[in-house]
Order: sequence, then structure tokens, then C-alpha cells
Amino acid sequence: MSLYASAVRRPVMTTLCYVAVAILGLFSLSKLPIDLYPDIETNTIMVMTTYQGASAADIEQNVTRPLENALNAVNDLKHITSKSRENISVITLEFEFGKDIDVLTNDVRDKLDMVKSALPDNSETPIIFKFSTDMIPIVMLSVQADESMPGLYKILDDAVANPLARISGVGSVSISGAPKREIHVYVDPERLEAYGLSVEGVSAVIAAENRNIPGGSFDIGSDTYTLRVQGEFTDSDQMKNIVVGSYNGRNVYLSDIARVDDSLEERAQETFNDGRQGAMIVIQKQSGANSVEISNKVLKMLPQLQKRLPSDVKLGIIVDTSDNIRNTIASLVETVGYALLFVVIVVFAFLGRWRATLIIVITIPLSLIASFIYLAMTGNTLNIVSLSALSISIGMVVDDAIVVLENVTTHIERGADPKQAAVHGTNEVAISVIASTLTLIAVFFPLTLVTGMTGVLFRQLGWMVTIMMIISTTCALSLTPMLCSLLLRKDVKHGKIYKVLFTPVNSALDWLDRAYGKLLTAVVGHKTTTIAVCMVIFVGSLWLVKQVGTEFFPTADDARLGVSLEMPIGTRVEIAKEASLRLAEEWREKYPEILVLNYTTGTASSDNTFASLQDNGPHIISMNIRLTDPGDRDRGIVEIADMMRADLKKHPEFKKAQVNVGGMRGGSMSGQQTIDYEVYGYDFDQTDEAAAKLVKVLEGIKGTADVTVSRADYQPEYQVDFDRRKLALYGMNLQTAATALRNRINGSLTSQFREDGEEYDIKVMYAPESRTSIEDIENILLYGTGGQAVRVRDVGTVVERFTPPTIERKDRERIVTVSTVVSGVPMSDVVAQSLAEIDKMDLPVGINIELAGSYEDQQDSFSDLLTLALLIVILVYIVMAAQFESYTYPAIIMTSLLFAFSGVFIMLYLAGHTLNVMSMIGAIMLIGIVVKNGIVLIDYITLNRERGMAVRRSVVDGGMSRLRPVLMTSLTTILGMVPMAVGSGQGAEMWRPMGVAVIGGLTFSTILTLLFVPALYCIFAYNGIRRQRKKHALSLNKK
Amino acid sequence: MHAIFIAFDQAHYERIVTTLERLSCRGFTSFDQVKGRGSKTGEPHYGSHAWPSMSSAIITVVEDEKLDTVMKALKAIDDATPRLGLRAWAWSVTRSI
Repeated sequence: MSLYASAVRRPVMTTLCYVAVAILGLFSLSKLPIDLYPDIETNTIMVMTTYQGASAADIEQNVTRPLENALNAVNDLKHITSKSRENISVITLEFEFGKDIDVLTNDVRDKLDMVKSALPDNSETPIIFKFSTDMIPIVMLSVQADESMPGLYKILDDAVANPLARISGVGSVSISGAPKREIHVYVDPERLEAYGLSVEGVSAVIAAENRNIPGGSFDIGSDTYTLRVQGEFTDSDQMKNIVVGSYNGRNVYLSDIARVDDSLEERAQETFNDGRQGAMIVIQKQSGANSVEISNKVLKMLPQLQKRLPSDVKLGIIVDTSDNIRNTIASLVETVGYALLFVVIVVFAFLGRWRATLIIVITIPLSLIASFIYLAMTGNTLNIVSLSALSISIGMVVDDAIVVLENVTTHIERGADPKQAAVHGTNEVAISVIASTLTLIAVFFPLTLVTGMTGVLFRQLGWMVTIMMIISTTCALSLTPMLCSLLLRKDVKHGKIYKVLFTPVNSALDWLDRAYGKLLTAVVGHKTTTIAVCMVIFVGSLWLVKQVGTEFFPTADDARLGVSLEMPIGTRVEIAKEASLRLAEEWREKYPEILVLNYTTGTASSDNTFASLQDNGPHIISMNIRLTDPGDRDRGIVEIADMMRADLKKHPEFKKAQVNVGGMRGGSMSGQQTIDYEVYGYDFDQTDEAAAKLVKVLEGIKGTADVTVSRADYQPEYQVDFDRRKLALYGMNLQTAATALRNRINGSLTSQFREDGEEYDIKVMYAPESRTSIEDIENILLYGTGGQAVRVRDVGTVVERFTPPTIERKDRERIVTVSTVVSGVPMSDVVAQSLAEIDKMDLPVGINIELAGSYEDQQDSFSDLLTLALLIVILVYIVMAAQFESYTYPAIIMTSLLFAFSGVFIMLYLAGHTLNVMSMIGAIMLIGIVVKNGIVLIDYITLNRERGMAVRRSVVDGGMSRLRPVLMTSLTTILGMVPMAVGSGQGAEMWRPMGVAVIGGLTFSTILTLLFVPALYCIFAYNGIRRQRKKHALSLNKK
Repeated sequence: MHAIFIAFDQAHYERIVTTLERLSCRGFTSFDQVKGRGSKTGEPHYGSHAWPSMSSAIITVVEDEKLDTVMKALKAIDDATPRLGLRAWAWSVTRSI
């Protein structure tokens, strides 16, 4: 027995089957975590190798190159880039998306083992470091403090960081901006000299005094006692009274030569939140954990943590990435809700019966809910892609049910019993329903095969839609006939409300039918003119292809800006602080949209994992700005970013400035797009010159912002050139002399001061006022092995030098990257203009410029998607040709794709969107939806001909009778996409182009398909008849 | 005894079987899927793309006195739903085993 016959016969079983699916689906939904994107696997591995004492050029030659040559052989490698800096080589391997990173890591390890012997003897073993999106902080907290500032680190570490780190899923919690306590012993070099003491000597004495030593155990009577000497300082003031030496028979106390300063680290990052000093707590998640869940837990814990803090310490939120995720998903859920509503209205308007509408509409939630089971089973999340898939499908899942319902209704109207009508009515259309689902699957299934980053994103979309289509078809073939047999009545009596509501709707639809009939008659009468007009429109729209620019992903407004500022190298941290305070105040006043403004400056300590991975230094300021929600402000994030960039131009003290939408530059999909111009060439001077020229060119092009050069400036520094022979005279070597210098300036770490279970460093060094000039350095007294003292100036010279910059390489060639943010214009405009300018540039031999960044990603994705589109067209053709058993009909239907293409461009142009990955996906989906209209039309026309009608009559009659179904399926899809296209919620920028593309393409192609396809059909049909007649005539002649 | 050949749209099947039962015509032979079309206005029932509907047929043999009642009942069904199509022909049975 067939599926539909048994479904109709066993309504209870059928109903309960679907109830079970719905319950399972809802259960899965309750378990589904939410996220912004599907899980994107890490695709980057870093290899770090240190080689102490080697310069950048040495590192490049001896470490980076051999490593690169070996690593280049690893499979699936996309790019290999490297940075050779003093002492260290960092190689970054970028792999194709979607490859198993563990396998790749093993490959890399094998290759490293092979090359290890070729590395210099003193270089350390290369370290492999996997970089992943998990490194991106999920929550950043701001801390404001007044009196508690000196002890802030300990307070935060105990009361905030440790409890937060215990939340499951939290990877690391780092505190920046709160300097740690440190005890400095600031010695006065002159007094030291006068008493004949040295920094090393003083350190040794302090270390020796600050000791607890167990003395063993001894017996007294019947008891055993342990003996201990408890010499550790309990108070830093005790140190002052240590005897550090003797002079002329008198004790020299530490207080005689130095002052003990119990304060904070000298060089530390300082953080300011809304103008007040404080700290920043950065929370990173463990790999694979869900950001929203963790952030929920963190936020829940905050009030509790706040209670434990001193009253002047206030916690706040700078960045909560999950906030954006939650808002985006919420606005998308709203979009899906509206889509559902619109579809219901369209179905009701066309069918005019609530029972019929109910039968149709019930397939929507069932198919959607069933797809949640897939998501839960594969461990996916509710994200932009999966929700977009729902939104897209809402309009399509009803189509099959509508076809079934219509045919069952015809049978009932003819007089059949609803039960019989349901079985036979479904039986008649089952094949065509399955065929039309197959065309859609032919479109969406290949999406699961795309590679690269687009593949990672759209694999889920492909699976979701495929599954929903299959479920909706199954529904249409079982649940729909069952419900028809139960709910539909033979004689429908309409109430008053129906008459009031539907008389105008029906008469409008009837009028439309008649008008279309007339138009179609005219069109069929003037076939050549029609085709000519349509082709002119199509060719005309090709002109728009050039007008609509292209880009990778639209920029999303996630209310987050990252600003990184760089003052001239060597600027003191105090000056950087002052300048940034001024800027922060100016901006807070100018942009009321700013909710939180936090900035950090200074050198990061090495135990802060998050900060040390980023650029840091006394002259570098990194700012995090959170704006109000996009719905609550008039100015968009891009506009604000552009204004800030303009502001920064007025601040010459910031040598380099970047304003990054979305917090990070180029890296994330939602930020502003970047184009990287890679200048390849060996010679530093030549590439520097080319890069400088390029910067000038780019700055002259409209739409570029934040043009930066990757090669850092030559860094000025003082170097002491020791004369080895002179050093030897005093019994010293370079190491002892250099260490002595380091002890005096950077300080010598003697021992640790313990208090309340915490350890704080005790550092002995020159007092700050004694290390402010070159003379101070030259006057440093060194002691030889024999104890004789000598000044630095006598054994060496202090010179100012410039260290060469970091050497960057990509794909084993030296490179300088000039990168620009694209703002306000399509990326393709900037690319086209800059390429023209680069062509005009006079580049030396051996130097060439290539494009990368978002542009390269876009090119990759577009070529992937174009291949995909071709594959889909072929598959759809195959499905149609099989269905019609003809090569011509599918070709006729395929012509509607041309108009879909025109429609996409016309709408994108009118709405001011660009062609990007999202709109391309919309266009690809169109292939299936558009073709479906053609199938419905041609199918009915051929049916009419088979029933013996003349060509022209079949076309006009078929067109008129199929107008409503075509309009209905198109309208459900178009209106289903309207909420996406006009959405203004958070993240709407991302899916707006997709909605616009589908609406434009479908509207345009539906209208033109209804005219062009019949005309073309007539031409082919007449040709076929003519051919047959000729054949017939020939065979008659032969006889 | 008369044999009645009834050709009808599939949707009629249950109604006809019930009618026959009600009229105490126990025996019948049914052909589930048959193709055909009426001589004048009857829509073709071919199960093809153009004419997707199918017919069924039933042969039943009834006592002479029941013939009229059965034919009348069938006519009533056809009159109620003329668009589905139902035709019946009767001829006398000369022999049976």
C-alpha cells in the first residue's frame, strides 16, 4: 500500500508519528546552544623558535628559511608566513578550512623533527602553537578603583579572577592594567661607590638575609623539638636595617645607600575605564565551549563578585561578545516569525478557506522543528546560518502541500468522497511533487560539498534545507492527504465575514487572471517582439553588473570598536597616557553613543597571555569602545568609525592609528573588509620605497581608510659596544659586563617577599633618577674579578643605533604588506582603481605587488560559489530533463535564470547593496526556486497539448490556470524573505543583501517567466510541428 | 440472472460496494485499475500525465428481480456526482456453474 493510502487509512498513527517528530524536535531545540556562526575549525598553526642573540637577518637566514623549506611540504597548506625578529622566528602556517587540525599538527611535528639537525646548535626546539578563534576573548570586564588601586591586582586575582576561572568552560582569566606589587631597593650609585659596594653584592646580602632555614630536630627530656631560624622579612621596612657591608669598621646599613620602595611594578600596562584608572579582566573560553553559555554564567556571577570587593572597586562590562550573539539571534528569530506570518497570510488569501490554510501551514512548523533534530544530533548550534536556512525554507516547504491540497480539492469538487479524493488526488501528483523537491535538493545539496571558509559556513545551510525539503515532501504525501480526508468538506458554506473579506480578493484575482490571459494572448501573437524586449532588459541589466560593486562580507554593526594607536617609538608611557586621556575625553563628548571607553597602554607582563599575544609597548595604546545598541542610535558604526578616523588625522601625535569595526582588523567576518597589498622583494630599501609609494596611491583613492604598512620602523636604541681587550684587562668578559648593566637598569631579582601566602619580587636597581641619561649609563661602575672598579665609558662606548625591523616573509619570499580598510564604497572599486595605479607605478625589477586580505578570501569564495552555481545548474537540468523526458523543455525553463540574474543585480543596485558572499548565496538559491515556476508552467502547457489542445490555446489556457499557483509559491518565498531584506535588528546587515537578492531575482524572473517562457515555448513547439509535418510529407512523397 | 458491468471513477468504489451489499448482491468481481473513456462527454481515465485519473470496474451477477433496483441505485450515484463518471451495462447470463 502506498504511503498516502496508509496515512489516510490510519490517521491516528500518522498524527502520532508527526507528534513524535515535533516533540523530539522541540526537545532538541531546548538543548541547542546559540552561537553566531557554525563551528569554524582552527586553520592556523604557529611555529616559534628562539635563537638567543641572533639578529633579525640571522634568524631569517639560519632558522626561518630552513624551517619554511621543510614545512612547505605539509599537505593542504594555503600560505606560509613568517616574522623573523631579534632572537625569535615565528612561522605561521595557514591551512585550508575544514581540514583536521590534529592531523596537520602531527604532520608539522614530523617535518620539524626532520629539519631539526639543520638548525643552529644554540637555537631552542621549535614550539608548535595552535591558534584558534577560541583565543578571542568572549568577555572583557572593566574595573574602576580609587583607594584600592595599589592592591588591585591581589584583590582582583583573589576575588574575581579565581572564582571566574572555576566556571566550567572558561579557559583563562587574565588581569591587565592592575600592576603587581613589587619591592624595589633603589640604590644611589654615588653612595654605593663611596662605600665600595656593588648592586650584586647588595642583592646577595638581601637574598641571604631573607631566609627561613630549618635547623633539624633535637631532644629535650622525653620530647623532640625542631629547630628553625625564621629570618624572612615580615615587613618591607625591616630591610632598611640590614647590614650590607662595613666601611672603616662601621656598619653600612641598607638605608644608608638605598631607599626601599614597597610599591608596584615599574613597567606595566595601565588601563583606564571612562577616564578613571582601573584594570581590565579578559576572559577566554576553552576550545569548543559555548560563548553564550559561559558569558551567561559569568554575568550571573558578577553581582555576587561585586559584593566581595571593596566599596571603591566597581566591575563593569566592556565587551560581551555573547550580547551581540544573543541580539543577532533574537532579531533573526523575529525575522523567521514574521516570515511565517506573511506566508500564512498569503496562503489564506489565495485559498480563502481556513481549513485548507491550516492543513498547509501545519507543514511549516513540522519541517522546521524536524531540522532541529539534525542540528542537535550533529552538535551544531542555532546560528545565523541555521536560522537563515529556516527563513529561506518557510516559503518553500508549503509548496508541495499546496500542490497536493489543490488536487485533492479538485477531486472533492468533482464529487469524490474526501477520503477517496485524498488518496487518488495525492497519487496523481506524487511524482511531480517528488520531482520538484528533487530540483530543490539539486540546488541545496551541493552546498554541502563546498570547500573553504564558505564551505564551513554553508554546509549547514545545505543540509538544513535539504532535510526540511525532504520532511516537507514526506509531510505533503502523508500528513496533508490525511488531514484533507478529515478536514475538507464537499460543500463549503461561507459565512458573512468570508464574503466581506474575500469578494474583493477573489474579484481582484479573477481580474488578474483575465488580464494575464489577454497579455499572454498578445505575447504569443508577438513572439519575436516579446523575446526581443526581454533580451534587451537582460542585456541592459548586464550593464549594472559593473555598477554593483563586490565585496566579501557585509560589515555588521556589532556596536564594538577597537582603536589601536601608536605614538613614535620610544615615547614614554606617561606621554602616551596623557595623549590618550585627551582623546578619550574628546570622543566621549563628541560621541554620545559611546557606552564604555576603555584603553590600555604600557608593556604587558609576560604572564598575561592575552596581552602578550597582542602588540604592546609604552608607545602603543589599545582602546575598546562599546557603543549603544544599533537600534538606539542614528549613526551607524561605519559612520562613527569614519568620523573617528577623521578626528585622528587632527592628532599628529599618533603616528599610526587604526579604527577597527568589530574590534579586530579584517580577521572576523563581520568587521570592515581589508585589502592587503603584498609587496614582494628581497631588498629592504626598494620594498620600503615601493610600499611608501603604494601608501600614497592608496590614500588618494576614495574609500580607503587606515592605510598601514606592516614593516615596523627602524627602532632607535642605545647599545654599549664593549672593548673585549679592555674588559679582559679587568678580568671581565662580555657576559659579566652585560649582566652588570642589566642588574643596574632593569634590576636584579634577589629574592621574594612573602605575605599572606603571596610572593612579591624584591628587585635591587639604580634609583630612577640615576638612570635618565647616557652619562648615567657611561658612569656605571663595573667590578672586575680582582675587585678593581672601572666605568663603562672606560671599557666601551655607548652609541645610538637603529635596529633593523622585523623581517616578514610569505610563501618563502620577503614581503611588506600595505593594508587598507575599505569604508563606504564597494571593495571592487578600490581594487580596480588601485590596480590601475599600481600598473602605472615604476617598480624596480624583482619587486611585485599582489593582493590578499579580504579580497583574496572573496576571490576564493566567489570562484567556489561560481563553480557551485555551474554544478547546480547542471544538476537541476538533469532532474528536469529526466522529469520531462526532453532536452528542450528544461532549456526553455532555464532561460528564466537569466531574468533572475537581472533581477538580482537590479535590486542590489537599487537597494545600494553589493555582490557579496551573502547575496551570492541568495542568487544560488534562486536557481531552484525560479526553475520551479517554469516547471509548473511548462508542465501544464504540455498537459494541455497532450489533451489535444492547439499550441496557442494550450499556452494561454495553461498560463491562465497556472497563474495562481505560480504567484502563490513566488509570493510565499518573496514575502518570507521581506523581513530579512528590511530587517533593522542587530546583525541585519549580514542577511539583508541575501533577502534583497532573492526578492529581486524572484520578482523579476516570475514576471518575465510568465511572458518569456510561453513565447519561447511557442517557437519551439511550432518548430517541432513543422519538422514533423515535413517528415510526414516526405514519407508520403516516398510512397 | 443478469450480469452488470459497472465502469466508474476510482473514487466511486466504496460507495458502489456498499450499495451492492445493501441490495443483498453478495457476489462481485472488481478490477481495481482500468483505463477508458466515455463515448460522449466522459473524461478519459488513462493514468497518464495528461489524464492522471484511473477507473475501476465491477462485474456482478444479480437475480432478475433485483436488476432494476441495482440499476436505479447506480443511476442515483451517477446523478449525484456527474463529473466523476459511472456507467453500467447489463446482459443476461445464459449459463453458469
